[in-house]
Amino acid sequence: MKKHLRIFACYFRLNLASALEYRASFISQAFGMALSNSTFLFFWWIAFQQIGGAIAGYTYKDVLFIWAVASSAYGLSHVLFANAANLTGLIVTGELDAFLLQPCCVLVNVLCARTILSAYGDLFYGFAVMLIFFAGEPAAWLWFLYGALTGGVLITAINLAAHTLSFYWGDASAMGRMALEFTINFSVYPDKIYAPAVRALMYSVIPAGIAVHVPLRLFQAFSPGLALAALGGAAAYCAAAGFFFYRGLRRYESGNVIVTRL
Amino acid sequence: MQAINARNLTKTYRTRVKSEGLGASFRALAKPEYKEVEAVKQVDLSVEQGEILAFIGPNGAGKSTFIKMLCGILHPSGGAVSVLGLSPVNERRKLALRIGTVFGQKSQLWLHLPPLDSFTLLAAIYEIGEAERKRRVDELSELFALGDFLRTPVRKLSLGQRVRCEVAASLLHEPELLFLDEPTIGLDVVVKQAIRELILRRNRERGTTVFLTSHDPADIEHLCQRAVVIDHGALVLDSPVDKLKSDNPGTSMENIIAAIFQQETGRPLEAASDDTPVEEAPV
Ligand SMILES: Nc1ncnc2c1ncn2[C@@H]1O[C@H](COP(=O)(O)OP(=O)(O)OP(=O)(O)O)[C@@H](O)[C@H]1O
Ligand SMILES: [Mg+2]
Repeated sequence: MKKHLRIFACYFRLNLASALEYRASFISQAFGMALSNSTFLFFWWIAFQQIGGAIAGYTYKDVLFIWAVASSAYGLSHVLFANAANLTGLIVTGELDAFLLQPCCVLVNVLCARTILSAYGDLFYGFAVMLIFFAGEPAAWLWFLYGALTGGVLITAINLAAHTLSFYWGDASAMGRMALEFTINFSVYPDKIYAPAVRALMYSVIPAGIAVHVPLRLFQAFSPGLALAALGGAAAYCAAAGFFFYRGLRRYESGNVIVTRL
Repeated sequence: MQAINARNLTKTYRTRVKSEGLGASFRALAKPEYKEVEAVKQVDLSVEQGEILAFIGPNGAGKSTFIKMLCGILHPSGGAVSVLGLSPVNERRKLALRIGTVFGQKSQLWLHLPPLDSFTLLAAIYEIGEAERKRRVDELSELFALGDFLRTPVRKLSLGQRVRCEVAASLLHEPELLFLDEPTIGLDVVVKQAIRELILRRNRERGTTVFLTSHDPADIEHLCQRAVVIDHGALVLDSPVDKLKSDNPGTSMENIIAAIFQQETGRPLEAASDDTPVEEAPV
């Protein structure tokens, strides 16, 4: 455990150093992401001006809150564990070899090994939204942090589960992209706009609901039962994704493509 | 003690054949089609500790597949294997602490960072302490003459400099057994010779067992005590290099191997194909 924390810290430092090698692109990507997020919130603002009150039970501030959580959760996942979304590539090119050759937990080793520059923008954007709209509300901050952390872990697990299919299907990158798209769409709209079947999906197979909408409910009206159920559900989902990954690993066939590590 | 012991070791790749796109993915899920490639067929091989062994064969013979099973990357389809007394698949992490690997076609170093940073990461992974790491990096840096380019991002190094760093990285945790899969691919004669000497020295000074695949007969001639030839996944020859030389006086190692290969398989051993440089992946 201690060893893996050390590896995790080491990867984080090196990833950041690697990012700073390309400072200009780092900064422009992070800012670009924040800008594009802002335009979405602006359109939401216009929509709420037109309609007034609430949309599907969510006020404008509720939407701001789920945006903040979703943005930071997505950012956290892709700053710390970006390789989850890149797993198909590692599997089909055989890049996983390098991780299997090292004497530590494959999953920790693989997930931490990469970062995505623009994700820093998403991570900080959530904090910026919170600072601007929820500065004096400690409860909002508490559930924001709770949501960003569980959400970050859950988004990683969703990516992991989807891309693990590549062990079985050969190339499941389409599945991976789809899962991520669903996650994002589920996270940034009020959950009641979706049909009940879809809503069942967002609290099970693609648990974006647990990541984003549960924290909002908890912020609106705290309920220990809901908080515990959500944590338990998130933990079970992560364990299942990990188990699925290790089962798939047995079928790994290690491609032969000439590879350099980025 | 035996470093490697493989019995009937077999690997069949079972690749799913499918066309592009999501629809095809779903169809393949319902009715998968497979193509099977028997890459390694019931190979028996044992290697003593301290040996240097050359594993030779034409492209696609199954060399890399065999090594990957010994390192615990691939699960064998059949047979049994033990490496340093451990099962590569079930005791992968324990084994990984004791073996070193260089895959000439795959880099273990981070392209955007200096090798020194990669060494720091490896030290964390192999649980090497701060002081010990410094000592070993200094030692390797002197041995491999890495001095200046330890601090240069890997993408700015020449191929030869990078391979030297790769080999040094594989030795950082002082492995007892070294797997080298075409380590000299794409290198010029001088650098090839330098790498050979370093490997040889490691073997003499520390008794490190070396398992080497190569297309270059000179590797066998200058480095190895034993030559094993594989073709279509099956062993064709297993002989001490000295014996090959004394049985065929005055013939070059290249010609000896080629003649035996022709005699056993009825086909010529392909010309050495390792003079194409390794291409960098687009950044
Ligand atoms: N990941 C894979 N999936 C399916 N088939 C594979 C895979 N890797 C290798 N093969 C096949 O297995 C056979 C042995 O390949 P392998 O890479 O072990 O050969 P090799 O002796 O290392 O060749 P080379 O000298 O070109 O490196 C080849 O026919 C190859 O096409
Ligand atoms: Mg090979």
